[in-house]
Amino acid sequence: MEQAQNTDVIVTEGVTKVYEADGVPVNALNGINLTIRSGEFTALVGPSGSGKTTFLNIISGLDSPTEGSVWLAGKVLSEMSGNELSDFRRDNIGFVFQAYNLIPVLTVEENVEYIMLLAGVPKAERHDRVIAMLEAVGLEGVADRTPTQLSGGQQQRVAIARAMVSEPQIILADEPTANLDSKTGADLLEMMRHLNVETGMTFIFSTHDPMVMEGATRLITLRDGRIDTDETR
Amino acid sequence: MILIKLAWRNIFRNKRRTLIAAIAIGIGLAALIFIDALMIGMAENMVRTATASFLGDAQIHREGFRDAQEVSLTIQALDEVTTDLAQEEIVEHFTQRVLASGMITSPANVSAILLVGVHPPTEKFLSQIDNAITEGVYFDGESSRDVVIGAKLAETLEIGLGDRVVVTVAQAESGDLSQEMFRISGIYQFAGEEMNNGMAFVRIEKAREMLAIGNAAHEIAIKFTSLAYARDPTLPFWETYSQHGNEVLSWTELMSQLTAILEMTQYSKYIMGAILFGVVVFGIINTLFMSLYERMFEFGVLRAVGTRPFGMARVILFEAGALAIVSIGLGAIFGFVLTAVFAQVGIDYTGIEMTGVTMQEVIRPVMTVEQFTAYPVWLFIFTIIAGLYPARYAAKMSPAAAMRRSF
Repeated sequence: MEQAQNTDVIVTEGVTKVYEADGVPVNALNGINLTIRSGEFTALVGPSGSGKTTFLNIISGLDSPTEGSVWLAGKVLSEMSGNELSDFRRDNIGFVFQAYNLIPVLTVEENVEYIMLLAGVPKAERHDRVIAMLEAVGLEGVADRTPTQLSGGQQQRVAIARAMVSEPQIILADEPTANLDSKTGADLLEMMRHLNVETGMTFIFSTHDPMVMEGATRLITLRDGRIDTDETR
Repeated sequence: MILIKLAWRNIFRNKRRTLIAAIAIGIGLAALIFIDALMIGMAENMVRTATASFLGDAQIHREGFRDAQEVSLTIQALDEVTTDLAQEEIVEHFTQRVLASGMITSPANVSAILLVGVHPPTEKFLSQIDNAITEGVYFDGESSRDVVIGAKLAETLEIGLGDRVVVTVAQAESGDLSQEMFRISGIYQFAGEEMNNGMAFVRIEKAREMLAIGNAAHEIAIKFTSLAYARDPTLPFWETYSQHGNEVLSWTELMSQLTAILEMTQYSKYIMGAILFGVVVFGIINTLFMSLYERMFEFGVLRAVGTRPFGMARVILFEAGALAIVSIGLGAIFGFVLTAVFAQVGIDYTGIEMTGVTMQEVIRPVMTVEQFTAYPVWLFIFTIIAGLYPARYAAKMSPAAAMRRSF
């Protein structure tokens, strides 16, 4: 394996994941070789069980592959300790999940600043960045609200603000529009595309949503844990 | 700080569950506070009953007297001892007694007794016989032939107030029998069977005369200014008065059986405490795990966004600590109210004999600072220890597995 180039933010080589389901081994991923470059707006698509979420988990260090290696921002994930992985995710990856993204007992501001708190960013800077980020996602004036006081679309915007506030290299989103109506989903997608263009951050989605697929600059289709197609637009 | 905030708010997410868990833990703490207060009250009651009835806080005898009960074994250097005792700051009162085994005879019956020669003006500070008089008086006037006996003995002898009895004892040295006639001047009713049935009190001068022991005494009963002195073996007092062939013993040695029982109640308190804390610990583990499983995805998210494994453990430990604080607050209030109510009302065990001590007062639980400091601190520590298991689980949890498990 050659050393990843500067523009290659994620490189996987022969990534395989085997789960045990009731004692029966299930191959979720079968030797995935993939390179994601900086600034790409990539959609991972495929039927349920094709391995999209598993792949996202493995490239973010949330899960480890049974075989193969993952390079992320030039680092080999399997060589990191638990604490190193946590710090690495905090500094380099932003996450947006399908739902239940936010911590309900924290306010919007606390949710967004959480990662900066972990990183030890000073209070004044945290506050300024949170307010700026909430403005960027179109959520002025909701900082003191709790997630339950927001609509689904607003909650996903807060999740995106949280994912982006620490200016990570990569945003990983696992079906971010799945629980939203089509208009809210479209607005959200447009906003993320705008942020992608503005900041140059790399976005990788898993999705079933045709609208997200249309907006992606690269479309990777997974089937039975393998890359079926890989189309750059 | 954010983790503490997170933990504190988390425990109030499911208010009902937290309240039920906190009440359960609080009841455990309240029970412990109450049991401790009750045992202190019971122990004080037993000690007070034992010492105030007749024993005193401490006694001086001639060495060997307590085993032999030989009337010739009188206290050595009695004048010096009593002069010194009068100057002791820790001694509130003391009284001399003469003791001899003998027989009491009425026209109807005869009974073995312990004849006790007392000095009524000082004896009233060391025993409660004067308070227990149900008929007649306790050595009123100057008559040397007054005898005061228990109601049960009067019943055995089939005699009443004013009736005559003959007391027979063996004199010191010669062993000759000495008989005197007395008139029943007072009858007392004690809860304790031994004092009711087996003792007869006469003036000390008359007892000395009968036993031919001059101005000697067999026993000096002492009441300290504080009961705590009797439990302090480091006091110079014990050495000072264990000279000239005499021995001074505190009630803890005179009633070793009671002392042993009181020590045993301490152990039983610890055992009960351990059981209660054990129940509490499992309750806490259960509550924390229920809370953890309910929020699996959230824990996964927290891990995903960069919370270190130890950070996750700290969230759980902070939650355990927050639960402990709420529980301690409730437990302290329950414990205080429960103990305060029973301290006012009392628990009536009067007339019941425990290890030779017949309870004469209602038991009133006694609150101490320790109950509201040491026990809560222990509960807090136990709660944190209980939280270690779920905390370790949370720290070890794979973020991906946590998020998968939540659906």
